[in-house]
Amino acid sequence: MRRHEVVVVGAGLAGQRAALAAVEAGREVAIVSKLHPLRSHSGAAQGGINAAVGAEDSVDTHIYDTVKGSDYLGDQDAIEFFCREAGPTVVEMEHFGTIFSRAPDGSLARRAFGGAGFPRTIYAADRTGLALLQGLWERLGTERFTLYQEWDVTDVVVRDGRVQGLLALDRRRGEFEEIAAKAVVLATGPAGRIYGRTTNAHSCTGDGLAVAYSAGAFLKDMEFVQFHPTALLETSILITEGARGEGGYLRNASGDRFMAKYAPHVLELASRDVVSRAIVTEVQEGRGFSGPYGGYVHLELMHLGQEKVESRLQEICDYCRHFAGIDPVTQPIPVYPAQHYMMGGVGTNSRGETNLPGLYSAGEAACVSIHGANRLGGNSLLETLVFGKQAGVAAAEYAATAPAPAMHATDLEEGTAAFRAWSSRTDGEDPSAIRNEMQQTMDRYVGIYRNEADLLEGLKRIRVLKQRYAKVRVVDQSRVFNLNLIDAIETGHMLDLAEVIVVGAYARTESRGAHYRTDYPKRDDAKWMRHTLAKRTPEGPNLSYAPVGYTRWEPKERVY
Amino acid sequence: MSESTVAAAFDVYRYDPAHDAKPRYQRYTLNLSPHTPVLTALLRIRAEVDPSLALRYSCRSAICGSCAMQINSKSRLACETHIGPEMARHGRIVVEPMRNQPVLRDLVVDQAPFWRQYDRIEPHLRLDPAHPMPEGRPTPMTPEEVDRFKETPRCIACAACFSACPAVEADPEFPGPMALAKLYRFVVDPRDRAHQDRLVRIQPNGLWLCLRCHLCTEACPKDVRPSERIRDLKEMAIAVQGATENGSRHAVGFKENISERGVLNEMRLVRQTYGTVGLVGQLGQGLKIVRKKPEVARKPHPIEGVDELEKIYAALDPEPKEGP
Ligand SMILES: Cc1cc2nc3c(=O)[nH]c(=O)nc-3n(C[C@H](O)[C@H](O)[C@H](O)COP(=O)(O)OP(=O)(O)OC[C@H]3O[C@@H](n4cnc5c(N)ncnc54)[C@H](O)[C@@H]3O)c2cc1C
Ligand code: SF4
Ligand code: SF4
Ligand code: FES
Repeated sequence: MRRHEVVVVGAGLAGQRAALAAVEAGREVAIVSKLHPLRSHSGAAQGGINAAVGAEDSVDTHIYDTVKGSDYLGDQDAIEFFCREAGPTVVEMEHFGTIFSRAPDGSLARRAFGGAGFPRTIYAADRTGLALLQGLWERLGTERFTLYQEWDVTDVVVRDGRVQGLLALDRRRGEFEEIAAKAVVLATGPAGRIYGRTTNAHSCTGDGLAVAYSAGAFLKDMEFVQFHPTALLETSILITEGARGEGGYLRNASGDRFMAKYAPHVLELASRDVVSRAIVTEVQEGRGFSGPYGGYVHLELMHLGQEKVESRLQEICDYCRHFAGIDPVTQPIPVYPAQHYMMGGVGTNSRGETNLPGLYSAGEAACVSIHGANRLGGNSLLETLVFGKQAGVAAAEYAATAPAPAMHATDLEEGTAAFRAWSSRTDGEDPSAIRNEMQQTMDRYVGIYRNEADLLEGLKRIRVLKQRYAKVRVVDQSRVFNLNLIDAIETGHMLDLAEVIVVGAYARTESRGAHYRTDYPKRDDAKWMRHTLAKRTPEGPNLSYAPVGYTRWEPKERVY
Repeated sequence: MSESTVAAAFDVYRYDPAHDAKPRYQRYTLNLSPHTPVLTALLRIRAEVDPSLALRYSCRSAICGSCAMQINSKSRLACETHIGPEMARHGRIVVEPMRNQPVLRDLVVDQAPFWRQYDRIEPHLRLDPAHPMPEGRPTPMTPEEVDRFKETPRCIACAACFSACPAVEADPEFPGPMALAKLYRFVVDPRDRAHQDRLVRIQPNGLWLCLRCHLCTEACPKDVRPSERIRDLKEMAIAVQGATENGSRHAVGFKENISERGVLNEMRLVRQTYGTVGLVGQLGQGLKIVRKKPEVARKPHPIEGVDELEKIYAALDPEPKEGP
């Protein structure tokens, strides 16, 4: 059996930062990642990372913007800590090797992002995530740790009330193995693939959330799902806010700039949730375009002129040309909202601690919560680094005194019995059919606009899919890189999470941030200014609620 | 949106070392719109026809570097190669694993050789511990310094260049285009304190094995232009060390070769560098290249950018300059 003091699951920004902190604290560390670290989804972030470093900006305004952006569901104590750490975190990343873009005077260049009082988003051209990922990986490379590359974690083993280790599949050999650990940090990133339309990579299947949930950890605020208004129609590849920031128009099929109706003052520059809802309304009410990939509206850049589009919106041009066969200089871009970010996740405090001793989480997989009901652009890259470090420090402290882990000989046998059953079946369903239906169900019934009838229908369908999943079949009999088996494992994870999202959304009879109920269109602070906590039971998720951390920011109506 | 479709025929390399005696090609035919990426087609094959097809992929937007493969014999990202032009040009789409890395299964290769070379160049800033950032400056880098990093940080480590590189094929010790482009990134970083050391240490079995064929630059989906970065490194290496390494002599030979013919003849260059006797030792490499990549020897390629060559002459000509 393999044995380590601290095992970090995931090697995106959050996982790498946690590993670095644990190594620096003197612990023996392993990283388990289903992708090579540099292929983690963090690398896809283009826009930037928030830090109030300019003279005209202040940490207090960053705190205020984040609290307000969260629609008062973010924990104010955690947010205060988070925003204070922002400046030092960015400087540290620069010392690690990240190359940020600079202003003419040599200071860090900053751009404006939605919901921020000042331009405070620091960037590296149009590839901030990649630049951070490279810089951190280069820094981590100077330390000693073990890397399990292309290993998928399938279980967290909990016994005697604390974490004992993990089970994981080595993709290359096709073997499951036990990895004993005193402390485990889950940093497995996004879960966007629960939806069909998502800006997230194929690997974003919420594995860490699902294994934590199965092990008895709380999932927090899962009903809060952020949709990005402008994703390319067929592939849902993200078209950044920059397109609207530079003056792009949104038009419906009659050629109207429909945002005038929904946000008369700021039009296309309204916040993400407002624009997303407007696009869906246009399409639902028959004013959109329609085609084989469903309804859509046009994002137009043509009026900006070739020069501006090609120089300022280079990456958008590339994406349109490469992935949609469209030239935005001369053609409108077909767009529709897509799932983009999960505010919810494994419930933690600002040290990354969960309710299970020895289990920690950070990054998009975790919910501290600083994003509350709605994340601001540029805050999640910062979150991965700030709370990745905290989780690494806390896990290292715990591992320093924790007793040796006790895995049992039967753990592996029991934890993998289902997988063997899938492979030996002679009938049953391929996981991809179940996954596709789950994605369609979530798009249709648990999307941007929600109501009681839809949510009940969604829940019913997800539960039917879970029954079908009980008979899932893996036909690929090879061990090496058996993606059929991995698909089946990931689909099971996502079905569990889908159920938690629907149940949470059904229970929350108010509208807040990204959660919009047409039957309860108002925010209800008296009843709902609290976090949802979901715990697994054999009958499905059991919900309880926890208060929001409060320091000094009175809830106000969230208007921009 | 117009939705005309093409009947796309895929011949996909299939090989599972545990079960198959040798690789085979499997034909799949799908009706798809011409701008469908090859990756999307392969995923449809997995979902609808054959779930046992193995490949690497994640982002589907040319940023994670997972999906490089040989598509109609070129190293490409499957997620950004469209089927329309491939069908129009070749009448079918042959999909094979990358080269220069052993096949694990189907389209999945063992990337260990690629990552080993990445590690070899010590890919991390080597700072002066007492003064991690250059002193006497308000900021660690000026905008002009940041401009030096236009291309290299775009690299997504997809290994398409590594797959395309004849020097890697000929000599597994050659670091390969990506690692050398990465090295360049550290050599031009004003914060790094090991420029000279890096330039000296990359010469044996390194820098000078590059054949300047530019196939890496042609293959790179992110326009990192590794062969140009290698050219820059060669210039800097000469400046640091003078023409002591065999490689620098290679550069001298290179100059004569060019001034005479305006083109590069790899075989002749090897002879000039090592002498006719030394050639015997090096011939292995030359011959390996010629055997595997006949085009390298057969048609000398015209060199782009004559100014670049001028710079190399300048660096070579009078006395070697002091290092940076
Ligand atoms: C298109 C796009 C653009 C974005 N732009 C911005 C932006 O401009 N600014 C901003 O602040 N945020 C942005 N975000 C959000 C931000 O990028 C993510 O929230 C953040 O990068 C997540 O980092 P992470 O470390 O938590 O996860 P990831 O980087 O996704 O890493 C997850 C890791 O977990 C591993 N893993 C997953 N499951 C398993 C398993 N079962 N076993 C082992 N390993 C596993 C993976 O291999 C990977 O290494 C963007 C998101 C998207 C989708
Ligand atoms: S130019 Fe050099 S590094 Fe690039 S492919 Fe040719 S031999 Fe390889
Ligand atoms: S240099 Fe280009 S081809 Fe080579 S690994 Fe980097 S991105 Fe890929
Ligand atoms: S799937 Fe990420 S580069 Fe192609």
